[in-house]
Amino acid sequence: MERNLVFIALFAALIAALGLIPKIDLASGVPITAQSLGIMLAGTVLGAKRGALAVLLFLALVALGLPLLAGGRGGLGLFASPTAGFLVGFPVAAFVAGLIMKQWQHSNIALVATVAAVIGGIIVLYIFGIIGLSITLDKSLMESTLLMTPFLIGDAIKAVITGLVTQAIAKARPEFLFSRA
Amino acid sequence: MLSLSVSGQSWLHKSPTPLKLIVLCVATFMLFSLQNWLDALLALVVVCGLYLSIGWSFAKIGIERLKPLIWMILVIMLYHLLTSRIEEGVVISLRLCAAIGLATLITMTTRLDAMMKVVDWLAEPVYKLGLPRRTLGLASALVIRFTPVFIERGTKLSDAWKMRSTKRPNHRLLVPLSLAVLDDADRVAEALKARGGLSSIKAGAESSKSAQTKDQRTKL
Amino acid sequence: MIKIETVDFALQDRPILSNLSLDIAQKRVGLIGCNGSGKSSLLRLIAGLQEPDQGAITVNGIDVAKDRSKAISTIGLIFQNPDHQIIFPTVEEEIAFGLESQLGDKKLAIEKANAILTTFQRSHWASLGTHMLSQGQRHLVCLMAVLAMQPSVILLDEPYAGLDWPTSAALYQWLEKLDQQLLLITHDLDHLKKFDRIIWLDEGKIAMDGEPETVLAAYAAEMRLRSNQDLAPDQDAKPLPDSQTMTIKERA
Repeated sequence: MERNLVFIALFAALIAALGLIPKIDLASGVPITAQSLGIMLAGTVLGAKRGALAVLLFLALVALGLPLLAGGRGGLGLFASPTAGFLVGFPVAAFVAGLIMKQWQHSNIALVATVAAVIGGIIVLYIFGIIGLSITLDKSLMESTLLMTPFLIGDAIKAVITGLVTQAIAKARPEFLFSRA
Repeated sequence: MLSLSVSGQSWLHKSPTPLKLIVLCVATFMLFSLQNWLDALLALVVVCGLYLSIGWSFAKIGIERLKPLIWMILVIMLYHLLTSRIEEGVVISLRLCAAIGLATLITMTTRLDAMMKVVDWLAEPVYKLGLPRRTLGLASALVIRFTPVFIERGTKLSDAWKMRSTKRPNHRLLVPLSLAVLDDADRVAEALKARGGLSSIKAGAESSKSAQTKDQRTKL
Repeated sequence: MIKIETVDFALQDRPILSNLSLDIAQKRVGLIGCNGSGKSSLLRLIAGLQEPDQGAITVNGIDVAKDRSKAISTIGLIFQNPDHQIIFPTVEEEIAFGLESQLGDKKLAIEKANAILTTFQRSHWASLGTHMLSQGQRHLVCLMAVLAMQPSVILLDEPYAGLDWPTSAALYQWLEKLDQQLLLITHDLDHLKKFDRIIWLDEGKIAMDGEPETVLAAYAAEMRLRSNQDLAPDQDAKPLPDSQTMTIKERA
């Protein structure tokens, strides 16, 4: 119990920290905030339940008014903005990514985690995000989907990075890969 | 870490938090159903009026907080301009400003502990199912305590990178950072157990007893 | 040769260093002062990780903040905690990383990293995971990674604090052998006795600067005077709770 709680809380802190540290470079030299990487990692490392709870805890504190979202943003206003759907989708994305890690017991962790991040962190997350866009911007689902396409490439690279980082963690501390425990 | 609430004694600060949140929910729902630019403008004027009712210096902080909205509105207007649906763009922008402005106003006038109380109340059924009452408070405290620690850790690691490379730090920095988080979690979990863990003192004695038997079992 | 000219530096509007000027040419230089005196900030500035608000800092004539490609081959930095410094999963990768930026060739960097390991008689460490090493061994990896780049100046921020005595003594022996100019922050004054020069920083200004005997003695005397009233127990405070009442409470 305590152990679960601490891992969940400290991963939530990691997600927050990733949005607040100086930006890192993608492989291509484009600076990104690593916060959404943190969401994907929560699923692929902590597993479905713990991962989703870590993201939920992070989001709850953002909603309550702590400036933990990338760039020091926070508060209820975020949940009325066009990107609110993505916030709502974050815990589900982590959950799905964790589920895939568990269900697909292939030994190539990098591959499985990348696929998990693509399905959870892109497909599932975009579904939530697109619904949010279509509500807040009064657009059809089709048009909202088109609005999202420019972000696909960056998110695909993030999914691959999630795969690589998850594999590195599995190699260095196999006992902490809760998604496979 | 500072919360985004702004201390004050206004009528909105003093209103009960659950009521504020319910009104916010209903109002947001209504705002997003507005289809006419005049209605949307009226709504935005009302929200501005609410800010001003608390005071000019408070409103100025609000404007400062909402500045990033300008970019969003510009993108939205540009998109609608290109698809020649200007009126639609205006309605959407006004609505969004009103909705986000209102939600931000609630965040600014509600203290973190008041918000926490509402969360605790919402979590009541889960507590009844057996979740120790300290869980949520402890989890939040840990996040608030460790976020700056990990930011510092990330900054140190990126310093170490910059001392050995002219390229900007890339994703490879995430590995040592996440490993450090997992190691810290392992240690903190031990420390927490040693101090009685999640349960209150009374229940703590029981849980430490059961932990002891568990220890003995592992020894055997 | 480290040259600091009329440097001002603030962090989030809080002044850290004010109008600081220093020429450091000696080989072994100690930097002392209380926590928050600006020592670590000064080290970061000399490392070129941060630019001063006013003034200039050069090391061997190189503007450390602007000319990063020359700076990384001139200055090495060692932190207190090796876990803040080690980025890569294996020893070989960790040591090769800086070499790769210098040489622009990964294969060559790995070869050279192995050569360094051999000079330190640790060639068997190459493929080991950095996390499998002990804290002291990890410190040695950090030192090797820095030395591999052949800097002429090495900055050390409280290295080896918190290690057991034999480990820190062994690591200090490595430092003594070095030909590089060392600038060392430490609270362990014993290590500074044989140094060439000691700089005492207090609230962002130089409190004293000179030979170890004079500066260390003055510093020790001042520290005894200041001995943190904040932390010390009050003379007439209530007695501390004894262990017996504590156990009863726990049992209850």
